Amino acid sequence: MPSIHVKRGVFLPLLEGEEELIRKSVSGVLQEYEAAQENLIPILLQVQEMLGYLPGPAMEQIAAALKIPAVDVYGLATFYNQFRLHPPGKHQLKVCMGTACYMVGGRIALECFERRLGIKEGETTPGREFSLERVACVGCCTMAPVVVVDEQVEGKVTPTRVDGILLSFEKPAAPGAEAAGQKGEDAS
Amino acid sequence: MNGNAAAAVRERYRKLEADAAARIKAIYNGPVIRVGTATCGIAAGALPVKEAFARVVEEKGLPAKIIDVGCMGHCYAEPLVIISKPGFPSLCYGYLDEDLAARLVDDFLINDDPCYEFALVALEPNDVFPTFSDFPRGVYEQKIVLEHCGFIDPGDIDHYIARGGYGALAAALGKAPAGVLDTVKESHLRGRGGAGFPAGLKWEAAVKAGPGEKYVICNADEGDPGAFMDRGILESCPHQVIEGMLLCAYAVGAERGYFYIRAEYPLAVERVRRALEQAREKGLLGGAILGSGFNCELEIFQGSGAFVCGEATALVRSMEGKMGIPATRPPRLAQSGYRGRPTVLNNVKTFAYVPPIFNRGVEWFKSIGTDDNPGTAVFSLVGKVAHTGLVEVPMGTTLRQLIFEVGEGPANGKAFKAAQIGGPSGGCLPEAALDIPIDFDSLQEAGAIMGSGGLVVLDEDDCMVAIARYFLEFTQQESCGKCTFCRLGTKHMLDILTRITEGCGEPGDLEILEELAEDVRDGSLCNLGATAPNPVLTTLRYFRDEYEAHIFEKRCPALMCKELIVYYIEPQKCSKLCNVCVGSCPTEAIYTRDDGLKAIDQEKCVKCDNCLKTCPPDYNAVIKLSPPGLLTEKEGKKA
Amino acid sequence: MSKPATIFIDGRKIDAFEGEKLLWVALRNGIYIPNLCAIRGKEHPSGSCRLCYVQVEGCSEPVTSCTLSVTDSLSVQTRSPQVDRLVKSAFELLLSHHRLGCRDCAKRKSCELLKIAKERGLKMKLTRLALLDQEAEVDDSAETFVFDRSRCVLCGRCVWICREVIKVGALGFSRRGIKRVVTTFQDVSLAQSGCIECGLCVEACPSGALYFKEGKKPAAAGQCSCRGG
Repeated sequence: MPSIHVKRGVFLPLLEGEEELIRKSVSGVLQEYEAAQENLIPILLQVQEMLGYLPGPAMEQIAAALKIPAVDVYGLATFYNQFRLHPPGKHQLKVCMGTACYMVGGRIALECFERRLGIKEGETTPGREFSLERVACVGCCTMAPVVVVDEQVEGKVTPTRVDGILLSFEKPAAPGAEAAGQKGEDAS
Repeated sequence: MNGNAAAAVRERYRKLEADAAARIKAIYNGPVIRVGTATCGIAAGALPVKEAFARVVEEKGLPAKIIDVGCMGHCYAEPLVIISKPGFPSLCYGYLDEDLAARLVDDFLINDDPCYEFALVALEPNDVFPTFSDFPRGVYEQKIVLEHCGFIDPGDIDHYIARGGYGALAAALGKAPAGVLDTVKESHLRGRGGAGFPAGLKWEAAVKAGPGEKYVICNADEGDPGAFMDRGILESCPHQVIEGMLLCAYAVGAERGYFYIRAEYPLAVERVRRALEQAREKGLLGGAILGSGFNCELEIFQGSGAFVCGEATALVRSMEGKMGIPATRPPRLAQSGYRGRPTVLNNVKTFAYVPPIFNRGVEWFKSIGTDDNPGTAVFSLVGKVAHTGLVEVPMGTTLRQLIFEVGEGPANGKAFKAAQIGGPSGGCLPEAALDIPIDFDSLQEAGAIMGSGGLVVLDEDDCMVAIARYFLEFTQQESCGKCTFCRLGTKHMLDILTRITEGCGEPGDLEILEELAEDVRDGSLCNLGATAPNPVLTTLRYFRDEYEAHIFEKRCPALMCKELIVYYIEPQKCSKLCNVCVGSCPTEAIYTRDDGLKAIDQEKCVKCDNCLKTCPPDYNAVIKLSPPGLLTEKEGKKA
Repeated sequence: MSKPATIFIDGRKIDAFEGEKLLWVALRNGIYIPNLCAIRGKEHPSGSCRLCYVQVEGCSEPVTSCTLSVTDSLSVQTRSPQVDRLVKSAFELLLSHHRLGCRDCAKRKSCELLKIAKERGLKMKLTRLALLDQEAEVDDSAETFVFDRSRCVLCGRCVWICREVIKVGALGFSRRGIKRVVTTFQDVSLAQSGCIECGLCVEACPSGALYFKEGKKPAAAGQCSCRGG
């Protein structure tokens, strides 16, 4: 049966032992907070930080603890950009789509990543190596176009820089090589 | 508070200030290197620069100290450092890299040569090097909110206290809360979140709501694309905002407050958290502040990514663990806000104005700006402008001065086309509108809004239809989906705009677009929806001919809309000796013709712009054509 | 809600109480104002459907009557060119995201969209807007009723009933913007959700999104408490 927006059954089956890990992590987080709905977002953020995403059992456990319908937790998790319902890739690429970035080639950078990785924004490469997202303005407009690579902000991302970023993950580079590469880029 | 208690508070502050001043003075007795490490600086490579300084300083066994500072607003020149050495004016250097860092240590710190050729500006007046006020930008700029940004260590509270920080709070605690409220009311400070509602009236409403629990919330959910003033302030001078919030809490009788910071700003969160801890340690936050009877606790609430949470009621709902969906008003937050209690919600900048108003007086504040809009306006100046950055100018400065004097005009000699002001809720103003003064009311009249202060400069290469579409796509994606007009109206507007930019626009589209825009503006539940059509309405008003070119001629005058352009290599400019474009093409669409020149296989071309960027300036052989039909003409000529 | 107030709706003098919402006063007195999301007993009106606009005397912009508190000698018109423009536009917007085909719709006899169209002389078809794509999903997993999202207008009545009246909380909103939907936890089918099939949401639904299966309408269906006058 087709669904409206999210295909049903896309929630990946849990790995072996993952359910136990989820339960433990969530219990740990819940202990830090008073069981009140106003703590829901901080709890979800912290659980996601531990697990990388919000698996179904985690949302149900949190809902039960806060005594709210599970669908409310689900609603919240689907409402806010920060929450992900799927396991992320090992490296997360976030292409900024703020005005400044968009105007000077953010879209081009995004398309380059899509082409190079063979995935679309919002997807993870089959081996779960990279996940690609677009993000709203990260506030580094003067460095546009900007890509956030695993929490690190990369400025002036031209198509060639896209290749450089991806290449830097291919073999374990010496620390500092990344920065040196970037500098060389800017100087040209 | 009786006289003795007030004196005790003052005394306690005086001691804090004296200790801090002594400590900071001791730091500056030797050479100090201040490295701008706000997010923008880090993105530009400030961390390796900082490490290079540290490495060389250590190697040479120098007594120099290296300090993290925030953003001083000259983002175009990042990474930036300020080097202070006794006997010299403090000098600011831009475009730093590791080599230059090493050289500055050698030449300046060791050998007394300040390398003026690399210096941008001196901080203090002197006989050798120009200061900020010697540049056009310095003439127009007047810093209140950004006064300390980029000059002090946001991670060390003593830097702020040594500059008189928290003095306004200490003085206010000696007065009755009503007196504090009166000062803010008299200052006519208008909220900097966008609408310009007088802060004093907002605070007063919370006071009038009666006794009991109240809350103060700082709205740092800066979601406008192209705006980063709030991030800059929180990363550079968090204490000024904290002090402003405490003054507000004292005035309205709140004992708890929150920073609502968007999750995309991890560094701001970290720096505010640290600032709060330090304020608590110094007795400036928490119970019995400075020994007075005033208790106030401030906490951070991290947003989780929804533009609509910048709307007051949606922000409060998200703090309550719900979807950030705007609620109908009344009640206003001042009556019933967070947890159903009276709540004052102001923008980061609004709070940051409060301490200077107390320190220098209402008259001083009102002497800046215009009668109805006292004070300054803080902008993040970005886009196609030479000197991007965070700027602060008095209200009433014209857009022309801001863009052409402070920002030094469009970059690369391109022609100015429009100023997008106020983000997705704002509008695009053409050259002809640049002489209007910057204030809440004038901008609104012109169809834009002040917004929270994002200003994106657009040049001849920017398509106004694509810009309108971009913003609509943004608001449409960020719409909470609650009300009919915003959820569905923006979707239809986006669909029409997409059709137009793809060359599928039809006669009549503009009329429907305009009608829909007006309906969404008038019918939406919250201000996000009501202002969402502004980018469309202003571009229709000022740049209608561009829309018409897209619809009737299938032509994008700015050569930006992908479906309406083709890339073409001009044979007469191309060189047999150069192969750069061939290598740059990701899809192997560029081939070498029999005569050695290059050409593009349009079937394979994905219009990534790589060849145009990489074609050496000596040739500049790659051009864009619109409408695509021009290609046959060109190729026909060649044959 | 204690002080009596005399108000005028379309010139008609009506007794009401201060603080009441105008929409309910009008409906109680047999004056129809289009509405979908209004729920009696809900403390804060949702104000989401944007259909109940009225023109208040002395006020240039139309206001929604579900949020308008009655004060003494308030005078409103239920129609004005501006009101009509907004209602027509909102209605067409809703239709552009609603699968038409009334002939096959189980709710055709009680459809409130049809009622609004009839009362205001609006067309049940799109004149200036294109129909928005919707991959229709029909959830017929429940024993007694069907959930057809392609006809949902997101009024939120079912969600409110499910949690506030029945206290089950099987239904809720998820996502945002154009993707906002009424759904269950992780979008599971109703049969897999905590739904107890009380059927109240079906009665509350103003459109053909929720309807009883042939012959499955419970005989002793409760009175829908969100709409009663």
